[in-house]
Amino acid sequence: MSRPTSSPTDLELMEHADGERDDAELAALLERDPDARAKRDAIQQIGELVRGHLELSADAVHDARFAAMWRRVDGQLVSPATSLWSRVAAWFDRYRGHVITGAVSAGAVAALALVLRPGVSDLAGHVDMRPVALRSTPEIDSVDTPGGSSTVINLDDEDGHAAVIWVSAADSDPEAI
Amino acid sequence: MNKPAQRASIPTHGRDPVDDRELVTAAQRGDRDAFKTLFERYHRRAYALALGVIRHPDDAMDVVQEAFIKAHKYLDKFEGNASFYTWLYRIVMNLAIDHLRKHRKVKPVELDENRIEPDGDEPLLPRILGGNPGQALMDKQIRTRIDQALEQLSENHRSVLVMRELEGLSYEDMAQAMSCSKGTIMSRLFHARRNMQKQLLDLLDHPSAELIDDLTGGSAAAANDGADAPAAEPTSRKPATAARSQSR
Repeated sequence: MSRPTSSPTDLELMEHADGERDDAELAALLERDPDARAKRDAIQQIGELVRGHLELSADAVHDARFAAMWRRVDGQLVSPATSLWSRVAAWFDRYRGHVITGAVSAGAVAALALVLRPGVSDLAGHVDMRPVALRSTPEIDSVDTPGGSSTVINLDDEDGHAAVIWVSAADSDPEAI
Repeated sequence: MNKPAQRASIPTHGRDPVDDRELVTAAQRGDRDAFKTLFERYHRRAYALALGVIRHPDDAMDVVQEAFIKAHKYLDKFEGNASFYTWLYRIVMNLAIDHLRKHRKVKPVELDENRIEPDGDEPLLPRILGGNPGQALMDKQIRTRIDQALEQLSENHRSVLVMRELEGLSYEDMAQAMSCSKGTIMSRLFHARRNMQKQLLDLLDHPSAELIDDLTGGSAAAANDGADAPAAEPTSRKPATAARSQSR
């Protein structure tokens, strides 16, 4: 809002009348400008009329109506000391430790019951048997073959490592194989 | 910020706010009598606020009732940073605005929400209603006209005007309460006041014979002086401020 120069604007007068603007220059302008003073007074008088009218209207309501209102209010009041939520909150405050311990225990029991319930104990049915790639290649130097012999050939090339295992019976005829 | 000396203060009923805090603390412990005392202190003030916004006496009563029930329900959330009434009026205001939204028949169109410079077309008029608004309020016709003028304001304009004039809220507080900018609040307040002034000045520029009689106590000679304060008020009538202080 710009400062007043010659004559204050209506908004400046309104701010001044409402106590929103404490401006010495504006006050000096008002002293010199009877029209502006009359506008400011008119603003304040509207306030007096509205306030007075509403307060008189409220005063005109008979006490009995407000007494009846209080009875209705009183009938719907829930005492903070006895309200359900207050009682629950107070009980929780008192037994907080027990409640937390109980809740954790109950959770653990529920988890166990869930895992051990019939049909879930057959864990093999859920074992994933798919082959997985090993991080390092297995190296086989020899294979113990009772009653026979074996030969292990390790092959290394650019594709990786492979082992070829040759097993033969001790007394078998090689020609028959 | 300065507060003009001319502005009548919001009635505090001479009570110490600490007193309210003690009552709130007692009510938080379940003391219904303490809450009843708070109700008795603020029900009329809360009603005036609700009535100003809603304009319907029965609906305003419902809103105030609901506000006190809600205030009690959430009393444990009240931390005492503000006064109890400040907390209560926010509840009343929110419920009143909710009520208006629920019962709105026509979607309001605010064409002037973002206008910050309202001097362009219709400026405020340097006209006042006689010298004593309290005496003017004793006139039934003027009261009716104020009622009609408030009725004709849009919900937003009326809400801002009532918050400002009845509760003395700052522009910033009103912007927060209505979730809008301070500029919007200023615009709404300006237009609300200008429209109120237009409605009321029409009454004064063309006063009826009854109004002249009301304002002059029946003296026809005073009619030529316009609508200034009457020379003699009927003895049964009291200025608004006196009427308020006696009833509280």
